[in-house]
Amino acid sequence: MSSKNIQVIPLNRSEGDLEIHLEMDNDTVSEARSVGTMYRGFENLLKGRAPLDGLVITPRICGICTTAHLKAAVKALDMMAGVPVPDDALRVRNLTLMAEQLQNDLRHSFLLFTPDFAGPAYRGHPLYTEALKRYRPIRGRSVVETVRQTKKIIEIIAILGGQWPHSSFMVPGGVVSVPGQNDISQCRSLLANFRHWYERRVLGCTLARWSDVRTPRDLGHWLHEKPEHRESDLGFFIRFSREAQLQELGKGHHRFISYGAYEMPARTALNDAAGDSYLFPPGLFENGRPSPFDQEKITEDVTFSHFKSDGAPRHPFEEATVIETPNENNEAYSWGKAPRYDGKPAETGPLAELVLASDPLIKGLLEEDGPNVFLRQLARLIRPALLFPAMDCWLGETGVNNEIFYIKNEPQENGRGFGLVQAHRGALGHWVTLEGGKISQYQVITPTTWNASPRDGNGIRGPWEEALVGTLIKDPEHPVEIEHTIRSFDPCMVCCVHAITGHGKRRTSKIFC
Amino acid sequence: MSRTLYWIQGGGCGGDTWSFLSAESPDIYELFDILSIKVLWHPSLSVADHQSREELDQAILEDDVPLDILCVEGSIIQGPSGTGLADTVLGKPKKDFIGALAEKAHHIIAVGTCASFGGFGTDQETQATGMQFHKHNLGGFLGKIYKSKSGLPVINLPGCPCHSDVLAGTLSALANDLPLELNETNSPLDWYRIMVHQGCTRNEYHEYRVEEKQFGEKGCLFFYMGCQGPLVKGPCNKILWNRRSSKTRVGVPCFGCTRPDFPQRYPFFKTRNIEGIPIELPAGVSRAHYMAYKGMAAAAAPKRLIKRKSGI
Repeated sequence: MSSKNIQVIPLNRSEGDLEIHLEMDNDTVSEARSVGTMYRGFENLLKGRAPLDGLVITPRICGICTTAHLKAAVKALDMMAGVPVPDDALRVRNLTLMAEQLQNDLRHSFLLFTPDFAGPAYRGHPLYTEALKRYRPIRGRSVVETVRQTKKIIEIIAILGGQWPHSSFMVPGGVVSVPGQNDISQCRSLLANFRHWYERRVLGCTLARWSDVRTPRDLGHWLHEKPEHRESDLGFFIRFSREAQLQELGKGHHRFISYGAYEMPARTALNDAAGDSYLFPPGLFENGRPSPFDQEKITEDVTFSHFKSDGAPRHPFEEATVIETPNENNEAYSWGKAPRYDGKPAETGPLAELVLASDPLIKGLLEEDGPNVFLRQLARLIRPALLFPAMDCWLGETGVNNEIFYIKNEPQENGRGFGLVQAHRGALGHWVTLEGGKISQYQVITPTTWNASPRDGNGIRGPWEEALVGTLIKDPEHPVEIEHTIRSFDPCMVCCVHAITGHGKRRTSKIFC
Repeated sequence: MSRTLYWIQGGGCGGDTWSFLSAESPDIYELFDILSIKVLWHPSLSVADHQSREELDQAILEDDVPLDILCVEGSIIQGPSGTGLADTVLGKPKKDFIGALAEKAHHIIAVGTCASFGGFGTDQETQATGMQFHKHNLGGFLGKIYKSKSGLPVINLPGCPCHSDVLAGTLSALANDLPLELNETNSPLDWYRIMVHQGCTRNEYHEYRVEEKQFGEKGCLFFYMGCQGPLVKGPCNKILWNRRSSKTRVGVPCFGCTRPDFPQRYPFFKTRNIEGIPIELPAGVSRAHYMAYKGMAAAAAPKRLIKRKSGI
């Protein structure tokens, strides 16, 4: 007979607090529930406020993806004002979000994810001593370098937007700043320095060499080509992960969503060839194929959440966030809502973004092993390589032709608008309704709300719950497999604005029954 | 002598932590070395698994490990309905744990506006409050008479986020046993007796009342755009952000994020005014004199400013 028990694992090194509640069948996870442990109520706090106040308040939902929230908020207001955003403003908005993304991807990788390689679970791993040198908390070589480099790249946001984190420089119709040529030159120097570091220490090769790595076989060849490749943080990550078999961990639904990242300016050297409207296209990917994205197909289900509902999943414009006091007879177990696309859960993040962008290496690896911890983290580590050329191009074009950064417009009294962006952790949306010149409803669905979703009315698990089920925990004292799986989604619990709990005990006893 | 530091997050966004990582000369690593600060725990930086963490917490609460400096980021969440269950650790209200740590701490630093005054959620179901202030009122979570073991009240470092230099400087003062002179809201005078507006590159426009009425137009943001730079304390334009700039320099109004009542209930991006003069004037200014002064200043404005020829 199998023994059934319950484990509650609090997780640090996520943005905000998170607990994972697991049901175990011997050493294997048979059920998983992700439980955010904090509720901040930002959506309700915005009700009754002036339309532009969302530009000040929503960036403060999250201290690490503050610019992503600003961009989602401003896009909803652009839509309501019906105002075109001039090319230069679009460039400034994109460049600042990209700088924040470079910061996030590297900080997440080396401050939040790889420190687990230097943890007690890997004392027997052949690369453990080297992992300690690189990723020991606060003192590891790569940790220190990452902090020193990432704070430089976000200076781009301060130059173009005043400060990081928490500025409000994007407004409907453009941006408030009017950067001069020297500002742009400073940004270009910062970008060049950061890129140099990324090539030298993270990749171990030039971007040009890296761009030739297009298949899993190329990757194997690249790794053995030079000591610099093996010794780089990317090379080390690949070697360590293979030894630890991270490609076997954290599978999930194999269904991906992206809202599309970085709108192309009307006139830019980047889109001459393809005429694409985004640098990374929006879409849904399932059964090996992409399909066009339609925001009308997004709903939130609250069957297993402590919110009032008539049971029907609702589009964000139609839903409310009304707390329902937890009750013993109720099957709800989470304060997180369950976003669904076309009725089903979807995973979002750098992996989803690169799959939809048909990145050949990522798609090749996905075909071999399906989604997994290694692949999610690899996508995050190599995504910066795809940003540098676009950033360089757009910095070179900013303010060169007509220098229009803002088009005057008046905020509407009534209306509805939504702003969808690819934040660093994936699909982020703000849905805003104005009535009588005030915000009457504000709904935010963050990437972590997608990934950390509880079950829906059909009993279908959320993405990372699904990724946890079936996981073998080798050492219950150090359940590093769980930590890897969750961190591979780059969890941001402060963003998961609905999340609340406090009822772990009650639910635990339920599971014991 | 080495000091221990424990960092705990309540109802916050993590922004003060990420802001702190921008510290320069000294950066955070140099700072910890120079001051011999041993970081016992930081939620984003530490690796210890939850068992070691629990052992550490126990050791602090049983006085086996000294707690020299407790940094609190984010508000203290007391809701819903006084339960504290909107922010929990293993099912228990986090506020209770923060309260227990406060009894052991030699110094407490409230990092950011939420920890200082409550910030986001003070009027909400989350019942957020600050460590020792609730908005303008002394009290908050720990109460009026609370003193940490050093004899000081909770040291408030407001700002959304708190500037890295302000935190680094405060840690230096505490670690070197230097006296910290505090203002009326228990914030160090070194950074909180200067107005945000001091050092703004729009000051010349401000002097002659050449005001911006639409985004991107050169001018001062005080009269129409909702800027609180002349009203609010903070070193934004003295020490700058990320060593580069400030919101007001690039044209974003100051929203008064160091204010005890931040985020204020009235609209941002708009100055509340009577007959074209802002309702809120710099502290201690007589309205009649101010109106006369601004009228004369506008009349004296040079053409290069009126034509927005002066750079920012």
